[in-house]
Amino acid sequence: MKKTLIIILFLSGLNSGCKGDFLSLTPATSLSSATFFVSENDFKQAVNAAYVPLRTIYNDRNWLLNEMHSDNTYYARNILFGATEQQEDIADFAVPTANGVTSNTHVLNEYRQDYQIIARTNQILALIDDVDFDAASKANLKGQAQFLRAFAYFDLVKLFGKAPLHLEPVIDRQGAALPLAEAPELYTQIISDATAAIANLPLKSKQEAGRVTSGSARTLLADVYLTQKKWAEAETLLQAIVSSGEYTLMPTYEQAFSDTDANKNNKESVFEVQYLQGSAGLNGTFMYNFLPRPIAPDELLPITGTSNPQPLTGEGNNIPTPDIIAAYEDGDTRKDASIGYVTLGGSLRDNKVYPYIKKYAKKHSLHNNTGSNWPVYRYAEVILMLAEAQAEQGKTADAANNLNIVRTRAGLGATTASSQDALRTAIYNERRVELAFENKRWPDLVRTGRALDVITAYGNRIKSKPLDYYYPSGAVARSNAFSNISLLYGLPADESALSPYF
Amino acid sequence: MKQNFTSFLGKMRDAIFAFVLVLYSSSFAFSQVQGTVTDQSGEILAGVSVSVKGTNKGTLTDMNGTYKIDASNNSILVFSFVGYASLEKTVTGNQTLNVSLEVDEKFLSEVVVVGYGSQLKKEITGAVQTVDYKDLKDLPVSQIGQKLQGQLAGVQINQTTGKPGQGMNIRIRGQLSVSAGSDPLYVIDGFPITGNIGSINPDEIEDISILKDAASTSLYGSRAANGVVLITTKKGKGGTHISFNTFAGIQQVPVKGRIEMMDAVEFAQFKNEYYTDAGQPVPIEFQNPKQYEGKNNDWYDALLRTAPLQSYNLTLTNNGEKSRTSVVAGVFNQEGVVINNAYQRYSLRINSEFDISSKVKVGFNLAPQYVYDNTPRTDGDRGTGILFNALHTWPVMPIYDSNGDLTLFNKFPGSTGNIFAYANWVRAADQLVNETKNTNLLTNAYLAYQPIKGLTLKSTFNVEMLGSKFLFFNPSTATSAINTPIPTTAVSIRESIDRLSWLNENLATYAKTINDHSFEILAGFTNQKFTQESTRIQADTYSDDRISAVQGAININRGGTNNGVEEWSLTSLLSRLTYNYKGKYLFTAAVRRDGSSRFGSDNRWGTFPSVSAGWVISDEGFMANYSKISFAKLRTSYGVIGNNNIGNYTSYALINNTVNGVFGSTVAPGAIVSSLANSNLGWETTKQFDIGLDLGLYNDRIQFVYDYYNKHTTNLLYSVQVAQEAGFSNFNDNIGQINFWGHEFSLNTKNLTKALRWNTNFNISFNRNKVIALAEGIDRVYGTFHITQVGQPFGQFYGHIAQGVYLNKADLDSSPQVPGRSVVGSIKLTDQNGDGIITNGGNFDDRVIMGNPFPKFTFGITNSFNYKNFDLNIVGYSSIGHSLLVRHLYSTANLDGVFNLVKEVQYRFRSEANPGKGFYGTTVGGGNVTGIERDWMNSRFVADASFFTIKNITLGYTINKKNKIFNSARIYTSIQQALQFTKYWGGPNPETSAQSNGQGDGGNLSPGVDLSNYPVPRTYTLGINLNF
Repeated sequence: MKKTLIIILFLSGLNSGCKGDFLSLTPATSLSSATFFVSENDFKQAVNAAYVPLRTIYNDRNWLLNEMHSDNTYYARNILFGATEQQEDIADFAVPTANGVTSNTHVLNEYRQDYQIIARTNQILALIDDVDFDAASKANLKGQAQFLRAFAYFDLVKLFGKAPLHLEPVIDRQGAALPLAEAPELYTQIISDATAAIANLPLKSKQEAGRVTSGSARTLLADVYLTQKKWAEAETLLQAIVSSGEYTLMPTYEQAFSDTDANKNNKESVFEVQYLQGSAGLNGTFMYNFLPRPIAPDELLPITGTSNPQPLTGEGNNIPTPDIIAAYEDGDTRKDASIGYVTLGGSLRDNKVYPYIKKYAKKHSLHNNTGSNWPVYRYAEVILMLAEAQAEQGKTADAANNLNIVRTRAGLGATTASSQDALRTAIYNERRVELAFENKRWPDLVRTGRALDVITAYGNRIKSKPLDYYYPSGAVARSNAFSNISLLYGLPADESALSPYF
Repeated sequence: MKQNFTSFLGKMRDAIFAFVLVLYSSSFAFSQVQGTVTDQSGEILAGVSVSVKGTNKGTLTDMNGTYKIDASNNSILVFSFVGYASLEKTVTGNQTLNVSLEVDEKFLSEVVVVGYGSQLKKEITGAVQTVDYKDLKDLPVSQIGQKLQGQLAGVQINQTTGKPGQGMNIRIRGQLSVSAGSDPLYVIDGFPITGNIGSINPDEIEDISILKDAASTSLYGSRAANGVVLITTKKGKGGTHISFNTFAGIQQVPVKGRIEMMDAVEFAQFKNEYYTDAGQPVPIEFQNPKQYEGKNNDWYDALLRTAPLQSYNLTLTNNGEKSRTSVVAGVFNQEGVVINNAYQRYSLRINSEFDISSKVKVGFNLAPQYVYDNTPRTDGDRGTGILFNALHTWPVMPIYDSNGDLTLFNKFPGSTGNIFAYANWVRAADQLVNETKNTNLLTNAYLAYQPIKGLTLKSTFNVEMLGSKFLFFNPSTATSAINTPIPTTAVSIRESIDRLSWLNENLATYAKTINDHSFEILAGFTNQKFTQESTRIQADTYSDDRISAVQGAININRGGTNNGVEEWSLTSLLSRLTYNYKGKYLFTAAVRRDGSSRFGSDNRWGTFPSVSAGWVISDEGFMANYSKISFAKLRTSYGVIGNNNIGNYTSYALINNTVNGVFGSTVAPGAIVSSLANSNLGWETTKQFDIGLDLGLYNDRIQFVYDYYNKHTTNLLYSVQVAQEAGFSNFNDNIGQINFWGHEFSLNTKNLTKALRWNTNFNISFNRNKVIALAEGIDRVYGTFHITQVGQPFGQFYGHIAQGVYLNKADLDSSPQVPGRSVVGSIKLTDQNGDGIITNGGNFDDRVIMGNPFPKFTFGITNSFNYKNFDLNIVGYSSIGHSLLVRHLYSTANLDGVFNLVKEVQYRFRSEANPGKGFYGTTVGGGNVTGIERDWMNSRFVADASFFTIKNITLGYTINKKNKIFNSARIYTSIQQALQFTKYWGGPNPETSAQSNGQGDGGNLSPGVDLSNYPVPRTYTLGINLNF
């Protein structure tokens, strides 16, 4: 009897460890890859998170690389403040670049944020077809991921001309870095993703506000085609957007831009980066980044509506240049809607009046915390893109008609341009003022082949008249200013150190 | 033929003699002999076998150690007892014969606890060291780590902080890792514990074995690479025996060795000179430094006190006919030498074993324990560590106001500014709550069954439980950051932890001897699972400092509030074959297979084999000519072992589900894969070779053990940076390789054995390591002030080599400079790359390896003396050739004069005519100049920290006279941390290392940083052992 008992005890010990899952312990307080990507809701969350890097890109970097890196805006030099060379190098076309790489931190961060989007969308697209759920929902989610991946690669190819092409989730150390893909290969992928996204995504009226739509995807693809000078393909897509009836221009230019809470994703909006005011870290601060400094509390209050006991120190960025101010035609209502002026008591300049970007400066309640969205694509741009595609194909009448739609809203008369050349110039200038401070200027200069001439002349103006470009008296442009006017940025040095391919 | 015949006659003679003797003894009345048997220290020994030599007559001593036996005059009594040397005494007609048995320290008979069993020391083929725990029983310390200091070859034990119950850094054979843990595995009565070894009551321990090489540790498989410490607790033996041990004492921090800071006058004088040298007007407060005479406050000293400690232990052992029990109940109460610091332990252990039948035994061990600790955040970097903060607080600042109350906040009066304002550290120490209450339970239950002779089946079930409650409360009046006025925001953190670890082991052992061949086969399988749940709540902004409860807080800090669950499981198969031929040729092979939840799903099982062999040379016939050599054994081993301290979920890709999107005004929950999975992630592998020699000379009066080891640790866990185009920044992988090697010697000698007995135990160890490889494309990893570089030892101090200061313009002009910063009188660094300028970091870095935190060698020496009833024991421990980084100088020698300064700064460079000692540079020029020597790590911060410390001196007196109250008693007095010989100038503790307390400095890659931790006090105690 006793012996039997002992044997039973002994054998029960044997059994206790033989269950197969004894060694499979997954983290209980956070989800892991072992338990995620199994349901519709999981993919929804993954798609939501794939949008997130756009908040950083548009709040912190994109305007530096595409707007202040042009003749539209400059920095307002504050000689009392240092450690500003990273931004100044970009505005001064003096980004130090050797062997095709640069140590500029803003270049690095934009690059890394783009790849955050790519890694997240790759994860979704690699796994979503293996999970069975509602087909319409799945197509919508896939479409959003495809749009975002195309969008990120489009940003990369415009900035760098070449980039590693990741289309599958990285699963090991060896796969972390891939060879550089040249622009044609990248464009093939972008077009493929954007085309798929158009098919998968619903119309704006059928989509949750703020998410990308088939209209967003068509605009993106048309943008790509314009860059590639595929005018006819672009026109077809843009016409489809117009005839969809999903979009109209807002009555006034001012109304096209979202408030901190209201007027978001309005009828003119094709795609906006979404921010939310509050303490959850979903807010933007970009309008504060665009203020000249040092700015005292009482100087700030009329602009933001917020009070802060401390002045904002540092050096102001993205300050409208005399060039952009001069680019508005007389009577253009967009000028006052876009640019305001502030007098800084603490400025070391004789003239203490500075322009600032007004179109985003909507009043709000929390200091340095706004919910204003960033306009990535507006219907006004769709119409201007259509005009450009038509003009390039010699459809000058159609092009002028479309151009005039935008001009009319701005309180301007019909264009006087009629020849293809004149129309082209008119459309370029219209884009400059209509889309001012929307990070379109530098890519426009590059894709239309005007960048070198325009920037060289602009640089000469700054160097000869620094006072006009917000330098305090006695200060001059840095010795390296406008020493590196090139169409592409160097790839980031920190990434180069980790990649065997560049 | 003739010879044979003679031999035959001899045998006949013996036989006849024996026969006659037996006849004689059975037919005549014999006198009865009686007496008591004790051990050397006077403790009663029950169960000792007493026999009359040459007869079959024998008896055992009873519970009081007494025996009675019939024996005639001139017959010989033989006393024998396990673990003690047999003793023969001739009956001389005396009716009473009391004897004292000596512990047998010979190689031949000592039994040593090894992994999953025990072995005759003679037959061990691995590198196993035991500690003579009896000699250490009176050290007045709270932790066994402190007791083991200086006792073990190849084991470096440093007391990195004087905090009671904490800070013992134990490294076996120099083992370390980039990111995995390096603590040895602690096994108590066969159960690998997960809790803190420092809280075990040292009085519960009977025996400790340290397993060092792969052969002795490989049965612990993936947890063995850091070495294994086997602890056996007291078992019932030798009748019923009660003893009571107590000691009480006081602790003090010696003044010698403290960091010498400026007093009030000296600091005012410094400030006076600071402004004078800069050509600035001297602020009124410093125009007359003498005015501060008598206004000096030593903030550091004000935090210290003379503190008592007490220990009480009651031990009861019982060896019944069919059961054995031991009970140890202990109370330990230590007040810290820093105010408001207290440590208490209440512990109980009951070990029982019952014989159900001659073949079946069951046993239960139960050890509950409660430990209370409150330490008012004494250690840590500037701003956190109160001792460090107090050290550099300006001495004029008042501790008490005119009413005798503690001041609230100390700001230098007047307009000078530029002296940082601080909280009152005495108030902070007094008011801070930083307490941990741990309730532990350690249990074992086992069933052993011997179905046939030689075969034992044993099944054990072990459970370890911990309930831990932590509370940190910083009332608004206690402490805050530099320059932040008090009252500040009150903060509380409370954390509760529930832990359960269980282990089931099932072992079969079969031992058999056939002629000269002895085998033992062990086979078993085990399952262990660990689960820990924790809840942490952080709250701040209290309405009233008297209530620390969460409901008193206005704000719950969400970032600091969370739940945690940590789990791991381990399934193992193990086997060992031990074989010897005539006890002379020894061979052991062992293997363990571990499956662990920590390893990646494609790499779940690891196999850890070892082989070892030994040759007892002294048993060979040819050794008969070398009579002085009583024992000699050559042994060698090789094996593969692992380190699984890689984190519980490191192999998984984790999802971060707080990356939320926004659409319109709606927050949309978002989730990302935040880390890369590695399904191949596994243990760190160590391949270890060992060769050793055990030698006994002069009948084992001299015992010598030597070991050489060489081990390669590969597959180091490392978080490799990857190109972020992957969407991730790091990948956890097993890469890299470190080589360790070393020599260990221990020598035990019985110098005198007569009335004065003098034994010496000496050991010395040389441990070395070298990094062989890191990740592909990576040849160095930086710690905070350290570099770990391929081809060099691990974790070396890294910085500039200082050459004094630029003495004059000519010196400055002709020397490499820091462009735009170097001036006459500023620190002169070495231009290592010869580019003419001094650069810190980047491509033109002039930094080099400037010191080694690892010692050239460590040694321990213990001398014990016995004379009549007196005993004296002296333990010394030394580490030679290691350096420390005197990190606190970045504040305590900050030449901008914002804090109080070390006295040496008085001898800084002031002018060409008054260049000082060339150590500290000029104060003129502000941070642009002084920042070089303060912020750029340089060789002036590196100090030789070699030391020899008399860890303990104990003097005892034994009263062997039995009386109504006790059978025997011993009183003793002891000094712990008695004397320290060192040239180390950076602080009171040359054993310190900030990182091993988990404070600050980059973990494993950054050892040997002195942040002025809790000093180790000197302790004076008086104790008594009573045996009833």
